[in-house]
Amino acid sequence: MPPEVRRGFVIVAGLFAIAAVIWAARMDHIPPADFAFQNGTDPSTLDPHRATGQPEGRIIFELFEGLLRMLPEGDPDPETGLQSLTPQPAMAERYEVSEDGKTYTFTLRDGIRWTDGTPITAHDFAWSWQRMLHPATACEYAYLISEVRLATEYNSSVVEIGDRVEVELWDRPGETPTSEANVQHFPRGTMKYGTLRGIVKPDAPELGDNATEEQREQAQLDWEDRWIYEVEVTDPGTAGDDEGETTLQRFAVSAEVAAGDETIQRMHAVLVDFKHFGGAQAIDDQTFVVHLNHSVPYFLNLVAWYPLFPVNRNCVETHGSPLWTKAENIVTNGPYKLKFRRLRDRIRAEKFSDYWRADEVSFETIDFVSLESQNTAMNMYETGQLQWVYDLPASVLEELRDRDDFHSAPKLSIYFYKLNNDVPPLDDVRVRQAISMAIDRRQIVEQVTKAGEQPAYTVVPPGIAGYKGPEGLKENVAKAQALLAEAGFPGGRGFPKMSLMYNTSERHRPIAEVIQQQLQNNLNIKLELKNMEWGSFIETIQQEKYEIARYGWVGDYPDPNTFLDLWVTGNPQSNTNWSNPEYDRLIKAASSELDPKRRMELLREAETILATDLPIIPIFFYTSAEMAKTNIVGFAPSAQDLHPLSILRYRSDDPATAPSKD
Amino acid sequence: MRNLIGYLLKRAVWMLLTLWAVYTVSFILMRSVPGNPFSGERSIPPAIERQLKARYNLDAPPLEQYWDYLVGIVTRFDLGWCMGLEDYSVNQVLAEGFPVSATLAIFALAFAIILGVTAGVISAVYRRTKADVALMFAAVLGIAIPNFVLASLAILLFVFMIQIFPAGGWGTLQQIALPAFCLGLPVAAYIARLSRTGMLEMLTKDHVRTAIAKGLPHRTVILRHVLPGALLPVVSYLGPAVARVLTGSLVLEKIFALPGMGSHFINAATQRDYTLAMGMVLTYTVILFVMNTLVDLAYAIIDPRVKLQ
Repeated sequence: MPPEVRRGFVIVAGLFAIAAVIWAARMDHIPPADFAFQNGTDPSTLDPHRATGQPEGRIIFELFEGLLRMLPEGDPDPETGLQSLTPQPAMAERYEVSEDGKTYTFTLRDGIRWTDGTPITAHDFAWSWQRMLHPATACEYAYLISEVRLATEYNSSVVEIGDRVEVELWDRPGETPTSEANVQHFPRGTMKYGTLRGIVKPDAPELGDNATEEQREQAQLDWEDRWIYEVEVTDPGTAGDDEGETTLQRFAVSAEVAAGDETIQRMHAVLVDFKHFGGAQAIDDQTFVVHLNHSVPYFLNLVAWYPLFPVNRNCVETHGSPLWTKAENIVTNGPYKLKFRRLRDRIRAEKFSDYWRADEVSFETIDFVSLESQNTAMNMYETGQLQWVYDLPASVLEELRDRDDFHSAPKLSIYFYKLNNDVPPLDDVRVRQAISMAIDRRQIVEQVTKAGEQPAYTVVPPGIAGYKGPEGLKENVAKAQALLAEAGFPGGRGFPKMSLMYNTSERHRPIAEVIQQQLQNNLNIKLELKNMEWGSFIETIQQEKYEIARYGWVGDYPDPNTFLDLWVTGNPQSNTNWSNPEYDRLIKAASSELDPKRRMELLREAETILATDLPIIPIFFYTSAEMAKTNIVGFAPSAQDLHPLSILRYRSDDPATAPSKD
Repeated sequence: MRNLIGYLLKRAVWMLLTLWAVYTVSFILMRSVPGNPFSGERSIPPAIERQLKARYNLDAPPLEQYWDYLVGIVTRFDLGWCMGLEDYSVNQVLAEGFPVSATLAIFALAFAIILGVTAGVISAVYRRTKADVALMFAAVLGIAIPNFVLASLAILLFVFMIQIFPAGGWGTLQQIALPAFCLGLPVAAYIARLSRTGMLEMLTKDHVRTAIAKGLPHRTVILRHVLPGALLPVVSYLGPAVARVLTGSLVLEKIFALPGMGSHFINAATQRDYTLAMGMVLTYTVILFVMNTLVDLAYAIIDPRVKLQ
């Protein structure tokens, strides 16, 4: 290189470096929000029908609003500090429940509007519930409303001959009869409604014995695509009526089948006609009626749960999913609307001025700060960048406990160990009881977790109104040793080495180590600790290739059922291979019992079985430990760990109310 | 000039080959670890899982997935939709995260170079004095202390004891200062040692002795005749330094709650977010490759002894 080039290069590189620093130094300044708090992991989605986690929930509860909303009722319990939340009228002004508990009639408020200015009607709810249940939405919470008429059939695409069905033709935007499917399932293709008269199935494919599970599944699906559905289609004008002109038409999913026969139309799916015959119907613009197969005592709690919140049809159909959730597109109906969303940073929401109760909403802006690290959150809280943190570092809990801004209360969730009841000797109830009785839970909550957790001997956490669980089997080392001897392992001799599996976390390892130690000392049972990263952990449990595994469960609604129906034979969440016909019977009986008192008794009986037979070993009930600035009015812990932000405000007589501006 | 273009072309071809190899290996690795993007605490019904897989083309045979995704990347630069962060496409995640990581890296590097070179020059010029010993001791500490320890100390010192910087977050220059400092310090330490060694070596060179002998002011000798040569090892270290700053930021982004790319990298892998993880791996490959090429190029231009090949 000639020297001029070299010199020139040095100058250019220098300029480039300066330009880079200048580029890096430009910052768009954002004024701090009125209220900012730690919201955990970055939310994966803002779509109420797709979200599952708590961080998503906290945002959706403020951006959207259902027929009902969980709001405080009465004052916090003086003993536990728990604020009881009940489902209260929100988008619905009032509701009526029929005597048999199977029909709910909601009447919507006058003048409620979406953020785009259009009115909210009962049809929005009917459409939203249908979208939530649509198989292609793949909402994980769909099972919660399985008692709504036809919801299960619709959600799991089950159709039988004679059913009233809907057929979606293969003409979604951008689709041609031979093209790939458009994955946007809203807006839908042309809909035809009618009665399913028959299914013509070609010969089932023959697979060799050495075909893998996956190949079989694939072959089955390919085969089902070739089925020809014969539907007596009702004239479009009279869809939903029993009278009216009908014509017999034939449909199939496979492009090949449809192309081979002119009379066969290509379609996406035949589903039951939820729109006209399902359990969620808009009678008129203001009346929304829900029909249930059986009464569900906690149904109002479900209605106040975010998967049943409405989404704006026009918005979803115009932008498609997930683009409709972008800040520039989204249309919502809650107390707050989305201002902007910065990945792994924050979601800024601002007050929605047309919200029906807007004059009672105090904070103009709220920041949902994505923060996973406990220490960082604590630092930011202490320096005034956050006003509420809910996940505190265990190492400083002792010191924080005495402060005025510390809140702690029992939560509706349990930490337990799953046992694989198929693996001997865990199939012996005496062995399970011995293990449970040999664990000193007090040591765990006092020396390891230290957040004030309650030792658990049963599975339903305390604090559910009207329910008192059984006592369960307390620690008793002598009895445990006797039981183990009775089961054929006196003094632990001959007991196989078992593995205790947990997922990577600062919390699970020390707990597992303490239990390993206790079982070794008390029963001479040796456990091998197995740490697994989350994805592998979940898969191993679901394939039931474990012996003992750590697990947790958070109640979906404040009712014992959410903790008990998991263990019914065949529940996909159970994975314990435990089955007890009497237990199944009790849970089933409770689900159709109308008298609340009698129902709770049935559930209690069921829990007694669970706490004696011990297919799982309860360890402790979680307790919340959170900090909120003392100048916030209306903040109180609740069992479901819900915090409606729209009711919070700063104490007005306090001059130092506003958060520090940075 | 011709060999420059030839060199760049050759590197570009190599980069494409490397990317393809990285793509293939990542693709196979991602799909051979247990778990899938949709496994959660609540097992989802098979019907729903099927719909989800269809949405992300995971129901196609692996070879077809491999090919479809590759075609999408090559022809449209489309890395697909994230499977975990469902509202975002991988390209959007990169577009939001990259400026943050880049800003942090630029500040860290600028800080590291200025501090490192200054310290190195002072050490070399005043060698075997107390200042030299102190600076080189600090440099050894800087290299040895991991940056998360440094971050904790810095937070204690500058956030709580002397309250001049915020504890975390992103949006103002103050919020960048601490993470950039923690990220840049180990690099600065390394650069200080490199530039000191370089300086000492240059100081014994004949042309430097001549310059001193003919009576040039000491400052001019150092700046014009010693420093340029002494900085060559520093330039060649810039490639690894960029790599170090990029990977080091994974930890610091968490400690200081910064919305950069690093945190996505870890989460994407643990959550089996196939598309996002792939996007991250490929992006880092490109960045490292490009930076290394630039450094090699710069080296060849400023050092007449080096030939591009």
